[in-house]
Amino acid sequence: MSYMRDFTRGLWDELPPFRMVLGLCPVLAVTKSAEGGLGMGLCVIFVLTLSNIIVSALRRVIPRKVRIASFIVIIATFVVIVELVTQAYFYSIYTTLGLFIPLIVVNCIILGRAEAFASRNGVFRSTLDGLGVGLGFTLSLTVLGSIREILGNGTWFDMPLMWSSFEPFTFMVEAPGAFVCLGLMLGAMNAISGTRAS
Amino acid sequence: MKPADLIVSPGPHWHSGARKTTIAYHTMLALVPAAVWGITQYGLDAVRVISLSIACAMLAEWGFRKLVRKPDSLADGTAALSGLLLALILPASTPWHMILIGNVLGIVVGKECFGGLGANPLNPVLVGYAALRITTPWAGHLDFDLALINYQLGYPLEFPLAVLRAKGATALGQFPLGQLFLGQQTGGIGAVGMVWLLIGGLYLVLRGFAPWRIPLAFLLGSFVTSGIFWLANGELHASPLFHLLTGNLMIGAFFLATDPSSSPVNRWPQLIFGFACGLLAILLRAWSNYADGVVFAILLMNLCVPLLDQLTVKQRHAPRAAVPSALNPPATEEGAAS
Repeated sequence: MSYMRDFTRGLWDELPPFRMVLGLCPVLAVTKSAEGGLGMGLCVIFVLTLSNIIVSALRRVIPRKVRIASFIVIIATFVVIVELVTQAYFYSIYTTLGLFIPLIVVNCIILGRAEAFASRNGVFRSTLDGLGVGLGFTLSLTVLGSIREILGNGTWFDMPLMWSSFEPFTFMVEAPGAFVCLGLMLGAMNAISGTRAS
Repeated sequence: MKPADLIVSPGPHWHSGARKTTIAYHTMLALVPAAVWGITQYGLDAVRVISLSIACAMLAEWGFRKLVRKPDSLADGTAALSGLLLALILPASTPWHMILIGNVLGIVVGKECFGGLGANPLNPVLVGYAALRITTPWAGHLDFDLALINYQLGYPLEFPLAVLRAKGATALGQFPLGQLFLGQQTGGIGAVGMVWLLIGGLYLVLRGFAPWRIPLAFLLGSFVTSGIFWLANGELHASPLFHLLTGNLMIGAFFLATDPSSSPVNRWPQLIFGFACGLLAILLRAWSNYADGVVFAILLMNLCVPLLDQLTVKQRHAPRAAVPSALNPPATEEGAAS
């Protein structure tokens, strides 16, 4: 039961962008398209899960005082792997995400999970936590990217969805559209969990 | 629950004794001459845009307040006023989806998400218009030269500011100032009838429904700035009177910049706010990618309002850090509100 809880926590209660409001920079930047959001999410799942495993395995070895630096080194290792793999095999995602792949190193979610969870819990629970939070992050980004891509470009994963005379509302794929869309989704999620609680 | 002695609330704080409903309806009344002028020029198309825009704005406010279970506020007339103002700065041929989206974004994102009337930091009309304006594929619908291409009105149907932008001030001979003043020019439905806007604006100011300092400083700011440009290079930059009588400047000065909750409440800040709006509007006309920058100038200055209003807060009892403001809410706000 408790293991299940570790996994599902990241899917609603601590859904990274909307509940913890962490890692917003990539959330705003890469969700111009559903593909960008999904790609970013998958990269984060990979890095987050593996860094959680390593941090958790080394939690008794890493000195308390230099733990942040150690976490960063571990995370950076996996980010380099992701960067090289996407560059070699998924070049379109690599060009879509661009700078935001190396920036996963400083993504607050990954560092936050390492500090708050993986450095205090066992390897198996940390793996579940990493998978859950990563999956929540991926779903949020894909949903946000889908909304913005459908309205702002008339397509979904590059498939045309709208009628031929549709003039895309490109406001949604510009920066202000990202803030407006994220804010409205945040408000809607707070409203839903508010009615659930009461 | 004991009644609070001091109620801390967001603006508007200046008042003329009138209720917000009175202000909204009188502002709409003041806009009627300009709207009627637009209707005489563009006919049923203008009626379509105006009525659709008002309906969309009211529907957006009613729907959103229903959704978040807030008391219905349609009767205060401010939603209808927003819809009317947005319609008056759009061209008569605006397609329906732009009117709908502009109003919904303006009312929901620009006003209701911030807490409704009185709490909006930006003018909702301008939020809606700006969202439409920066949507590149829709730019053609807001470009007056393209949008009004099918009309025959007996005067040159080129947007004066676009001509100024493309050809410089020497090409402006086709726009006599008298014609511009009478509203015989291209532009938004209600933004072109300068004499009618002036009459409506003066009515608002004289009745005290709008603070006179903002429009006065706005017109002064744009006059002085465009005067400097004109004196520096009279072939490239148009005369100050031309700038005052074109585009959204008149409707901006009297009706858009004076939105009660997104403009300053103290005297000097009102003057600075208006002057800076005018200055920015002319700078944007001279140097930006847009032919008319009044909307963006006002939006930018709306953001500065909390800072401007702090300039003249009296500090008799409290040091600056403790003066309550929108940026620095007092610690006891919950106690005062409940």
